[in-house]
Amino acid sequence: MKKLLWTICLLGILFPPKFGLKVQHDGISAKNGHGMLEKKESSRSNLENYDYTKYHPIEEIYKWMSQIEERYSEVVTQHFLGMTYKARPMYYLKISEPTSTLKKIFWMDCGIHAREWITPAFCQWFVKEILQNYKTDPRISRFLRKVDFYILPVLNIDGYVYSWRKDRFWRKSRSSHNNGTCFGTDLNRNFNISWCNVGASKNCTHQTFCGTGPVSESETKAVSSFIEDKKDSILCYLTIHSYGQFILTPYSFTKTKPSNYDELIRIGQKAAKELKAKHGSNYKVGSTSDMLYFTSGNSRDWAYHIGIPFAYTFELRDNGTYKFTLPEDQIQPTCEETMAAVLSIYDDIYEREWGFNEVVFTSATMRLSVFLFFMLFF
Amino acid sequence: MLARRRPAGPGPTALLLVALLAAEARASWLIRRPLSPSGPELRQAARAALHFFNYRAASPSTVRVLKEVLNGTALIREEGENIKVAFSIESYRTENSQLGTCSALVGFKDHKSRPTVNISCTPLLDQKERKKEDYKLYKQIKQLETPPFETTIPGKLGDMDPSLQPLWELAMIGNSFLMWEKTTSTSSYYYVQQITNIKKWIRPDDFIILHYRLLLHEFRTQEIISCHLHLVWHPEKPSKTQYHCQDSGTQENGSGNSEGSGFL
Repeated sequence: MKKLLWTICLLGILFPPKFGLKVQHDGISAKNGHGMLEKKESSRSNLENYDYTKYHPIEEIYKWMSQIEERYSEVVTQHFLGMTYKARPMYYLKISEPTSTLKKIFWMDCGIHAREWITPAFCQWFVKEILQNYKTDPRISRFLRKVDFYILPVLNIDGYVYSWRKDRFWRKSRSSHNNGTCFGTDLNRNFNISWCNVGASKNCTHQTFCGTGPVSESETKAVSSFIEDKKDSILCYLTIHSYGQFILTPYSFTKTKPSNYDELIRIGQKAAKELKAKHGSNYKVGSTSDMLYFTSGNSRDWAYHIGIPFAYTFELRDNGTYKFTLPEDQIQPTCEETMAAVLSIYDDIYEREWGFNEVVFTSATMRLSVFLFFMLFF
Repeated sequence: MLARRRPAGPGPTALLLVALLAAEARASWLIRRPLSPSGPELRQAARAALHFFNYRAASPSTVRVLKEVLNGTALIREEGENIKVAFSIESYRTENSQLGTCSALVGFKDHKSRPTVNISCTPLLDQKERKKEDYKLYKQIKQLETPPFETTIPGKLGDMDPSLQPLWELAMIGNSFLMWEKTTSTSSYYYVQQITNIKKWIRPDDFIILHYRLLLHEFRTQEIISCHLHLVWHPEKPSKTQYHCQDSGTQENGSGNSEGSGFL
C-alpha cells in the first residue's frame, strides 16, 4: 500500500499533466442563450475553414480578427490602435489570461511594408498557434501567466490593399505628397530615431522616402504613441519583414553596438539554431548595420532606444529566389520555423525575467524522482 | 673587462627599408582586410561572381544559386578592392539538390559597376548531361505557345506554371548579365522579381529570341527597376543579351555576349 502511494506520488512528479494535481484556471466564461451559441457555432465553423497556408486580402483579415476574438473570447480582445492615411482602422489582438497580476508585454507587428505578404501570414499563424495550444502546451501556458501578447497583423493597411489591387511590389504607405503627384512614405524610415540621416530618402518618389518629418504618418503615430505609452511593460518588440533570412538586432543607423548586444546576439543565435532545426533554413544573426546596410528611422531602433530591452527585426524567407512573391506552399514551413525562433526568444526572455521564481520541471527533479524510486523498490 | 653591448635600435637604413617594403606591399595589393563570411561584402562579391558565371555559361538548365559564403578576404588596391571569395552553390532546380563550390576573384573599382570576375566552379552535371538538359529546354521553349502579354512569371502569389519554368530559366541568362553589369562594391545588389510581356521568336538559324520586361529589386534602395531585355540564345552557340533600363528617371543601356557552352 505504501509502495503504491509512493508510486502514485512519483508519477505525479514525473507526469504532472496526466497524474498531477493542479488547479487549472478555467477561463471559459459562461455564455447562455441559444442565439449566442448559434453565432459561436457559425464563427467557429468559419474559423475551422480559415486557410492559414494562403495569402488573404485585408477584408478577410479583418473578418478573421473578429472571428478569433469571438471564438477565443476568454483570452482575446481586439483593440483599435488608430487610423491609416485613408481612414482604415488599425486593429491589434491582445491575448491575455485574465489574472490579477500585472503582466509584461510581448509586442509583434507584421506588414509594415506592403509587398511582404508572408509577414501578415506569419502574424496570423502565430495567433492561431498560441490560441490552439495555450491550454495544453506548458511552454505557451507559462508565458501567458506572466505576459500578454499584442499582435498587429497588418500595420500598413493602405499599402497592403494597394499591393493587392494595383501594384504587387508597393512598399510604402499611401499618403499623398506634392499636391498628389507623389505617394507613400516608407513607414520603417518614419520613426523618431536619427530620422532621415542615413539610408533614407527625402525624395517622395523613392521607396525609402522618410516622410515630411519624424512620425509624420498616421500609421507611425498610432504605433509609436501606443508603444511609448506602454513602454515600461513591453519586454520584447518584434517586427516582421521579408525577405533575406535574417534575425537583426539594433542598430541600423550606426555600427555602435547596443549595451546588451552580446546577450541579444546569443539569444538570436539560439533562435536561428531552433529555426534551422525545423526545415534547414539558414538565418544570419547580427546588427542591421553589420549584416545589411545603414538606415535610420526604423521602428525597431526606436523601440529599443526608448527602453525596450529586447528588440529584433526578422527578415523571413526567402533568400532571393521568389523574394516578395513567396509561393503559398512555403507559407507553412516558413511559419513553422519562424514560430520556433520566436518561441525560443520568448523562452530566453522569460527565463531571464522569471526563471528563478517558477518551480519548473527540470532534469534535477527527474533525477531525484528516479533516485527515490530505486530507494523504495530496491 | 668586456664592455656589454646593448642591442642596437633600428638604424635609419632599416627604417627606410621598412617604409619601402610597405609602399611596395601596398602597390602589390598585399594589404589584406579580413572579412566575415556572414557579412555583406563577401556576399556581394559572391553574387557578382555568380551572376557573371551564369551569364557566361549560358546554360539555363544549370543556373547556380548562392548557398553559403565560406570564406574570403579583401585585397586593397589604389582604385578599389579585389575580393577573394569561396562559396557553396546549389542548382536553381531544387529537385536536383545538386551542390557545388566556387572560388572567385572579384575586382571592384571605386563606385563603378561591371566588376572584373575570375571564377571557377565545380561542375553540377557532366558536359554530356548538361547539353542534354539544355537541348531539352530548348525544345520545350520552341514548342511553347507564347504566354499572354500580361502574364507575369512568377504570379502574384509566387505561383509559377511548370510549363512556363523553361522561360524563367532562359531569362536568367539575360538577367544574370544585367545584374552583373549593375553590381558595384557599394552594396547595390539586385534580385529578379518578375518577368512579363514576353515575346518569343525562332530565328531562321534556329536561335531563340526572347524579348521581355523585367522587374528588378534593388536591395539597398528597395527600388523596383523596370528593364527591357532582348536575349538571343542557342544551346551550343555564343548568345547575346541587350537591355534597356529605367533607373529612377535615368536611362541605362547595355549589351554583351555570352560564350555559350564553350565557357564551361
